[in-house]
Amino acid sequence: MAFELKRIQEELRAAPLVSPYPLDLSVAIVSDVFRMAGVVPPARSTWAGWTKREHKLWGEQMGMLAHALASTSLREETVRALAPRFDPSGALGPFFEAVRPLTAEMIRANAFRQEEFLRKWISMVGGTIAGESDKESKKRVAQLDYRQTLVEYEKAEAARKAEAERRAKLLQQAAQNEAAARGWRE
Amino acid sequence: MNPAMLAPSVRIQRRTGGQRRWADRARESAESLRLHSRIRDEALARAALEPRLARLGDALLRSPYHARTLRRAGFSPRDLRSLDDIRHFPLLDRETLRRRWAELPALDPADRDLELVAVQSSGSTGRPVTLLKDPYDCVHMWAVLAFWTGWLGVTLPPRPRVVLLCSLSGGIEYSVRLPLVDDGALHRISLVRPRALERLLRARPAVLFADPDGLHWLESRDGLPRPRIVLSSAQYLAPEQRSRAAAALHAPVVNYYASTDTGPIAWECLLSHGRFHTLVPDVWVESVAGELVVTRLRPSVLPLLRYRTGDRGEISPDACPCGYHGWSITRFTGRRQCTFLTPDGREADAWKLAWLFKHYPLHSFRLTQRGAEEFELQLVPERGIVDVGDLRDRLETALGRLGWARASVAPAVVAAIPCTGEKPDPFRRTWRALPA
Repeated sequence: MAFELKRIQEELRAAPLVSPYPLDLSVAIVSDVFRMAGVVPPARSTWAGWTKREHKLWGEQMGMLAHALASTSLREETVRALAPRFDPSGALGPFFEAVRPLTAEMIRANAFRQEEFLRKWISMVGGTIAGESDKESKKRVAQLDYRQTLVEYEKAEAARKAEAERRAKLLQQAAQNEAAARGWRE
Repeated sequence: MNPAMLAPSVRIQRRTGGQRRWADRARESAESLRLHSRIRDEALARAALEPRLARLGDALLRSPYHARTLRRAGFSPRDLRSLDDIRHFPLLDRETLRRRWAELPALDPADRDLELVAVQSSGSTGRPVTLLKDPYDCVHMWAVLAFWTGWLGVTLPPRPRVVLLCSLSGGIEYSVRLPLVDDGALHRISLVRPRALERLLRARPAVLFADPDGLHWLESRDGLPRPRIVLSSAQYLAPEQRSRAAAALHAPVVNYYASTDTGPIAWECLLSHGRFHTLVPDVWVESVAGELVVTRLRPSVLPLLRYRTGDRGEISPDACPCGYHGWSITRFTGRRQCTFLTPDGREADAWKLAWLFKHYPLHSFRLTQRGAEEFELQLVPERGIVDVGDLRDRLETALGRLGWARASVAPAVVAAIPCTGEKPDPFRRTWRALPA
């Protein structure tokens, strides 16, 4: 089942989030989507477990997922894509892990993180992206993976700390060079 | 006024050996500009630019300011894969650049010989901004000059002399070698010092840099030099003034759009007035709600991502009759064109008065035409005391030359002049002539 990702993103842009979804409502919306596909949603106790165990962004991510499902064609396409033997309890855990660092604001306002969030959902429910090969989709998800970016930010931060002394010295020299810059820059 | 007393003490960079090491890179830059401006197919032109984004992304990661800002908003430098991706990224405004200048540079750990230069923008279009430049940033303009001479088919003589004709009140003058321009020489000649024309003629410039004030000054003189190419920037250059200058100096006049913050951005087509061809691949220009926003694609210690210039204009793909292919700025009002209305109903370019203000230590000013002959002058002194009476008298005399026989200027020293956009509007007209 191929998802029209661009259309879903356009629909999402056209449906601004007026207020955050309460967690109970988000759980109900997501569960309903599974029911519509003939799939048994996670048990109440499973949701309760996630509520207790999952990270602090989980609630707002659920809210954004519910918003996307409730206000775009993501719901219908998800319903069509879900296989009857799909195990949501087993699949949702890795999905939550894959989107772990994404805040609701990133998913709402940042085109790249929104795409990452949607792609990871589509991949979880067994869908594909219209006009893309599996290989291309996997490559794109890897490019967008914000968890990897955070690793790069940490590395860059460590490198900057290591060169703090050099930076300070260069800035000091730069100020001294100012007077000697004429004749070059103009 | 003794101009010599105005000149601040400056040391001149004379290490020409250091400049020479950038010769290959400057040649490559000029060649890149030439090649990119000839790519007819937009998709191919985009594809040719996009490999530069990876390098920009690396620089953003190394810049403390950019890394922090992007991380906070959930962006990854790796999200920059196509030119279309740029528009999703956050904007950088001038005030942030001014406040966070020390956190913006991206140091290359592999470049252990890196030197930085702190440069202050003139402040003529807002509060001065301190910028850090690497040595190549300081000489890149010569690569762009090489591109323009090639574009126009201008051949420079061996060891050409380049003159910067300067109308700033500082009165700075110097001469240095210019290895990057065919082992030529660079002379800065100040218009506020006596016998400026004499020195200009003695220099025999092949390349003449001026601004509209300098061109205005030249037009009123006889026996002018014969440069091969003239370049004007920094202020609005009226098409008639450009034509007059080209006729007087017998040379093409390249009106370019640049700022200390970004470097050269575009140049005005010599065939089609008002069409500014962007200097791809050095910069990528967007128009965001009518404001020009610049991303620097050329490697630099100061990565600029979506920098708000404060200038207005539209950008679109262009296949110009002059042969340029790329993206051009139209409806450019960057240098804030303003016309005053003379009592007999003629329009006069207000920027012709700009030179006068350079003689006073001002943080900012605004001259507003409020009536047929009434002007309001708001002044924010930079330091010390401004002789307001002297400035008013000179302004009224200058207005007299433009067509106001009885101009009345009401000056007022104020603490600040409100600025609605990124840059102030030093000239404004609130008066409209009644229909005849």
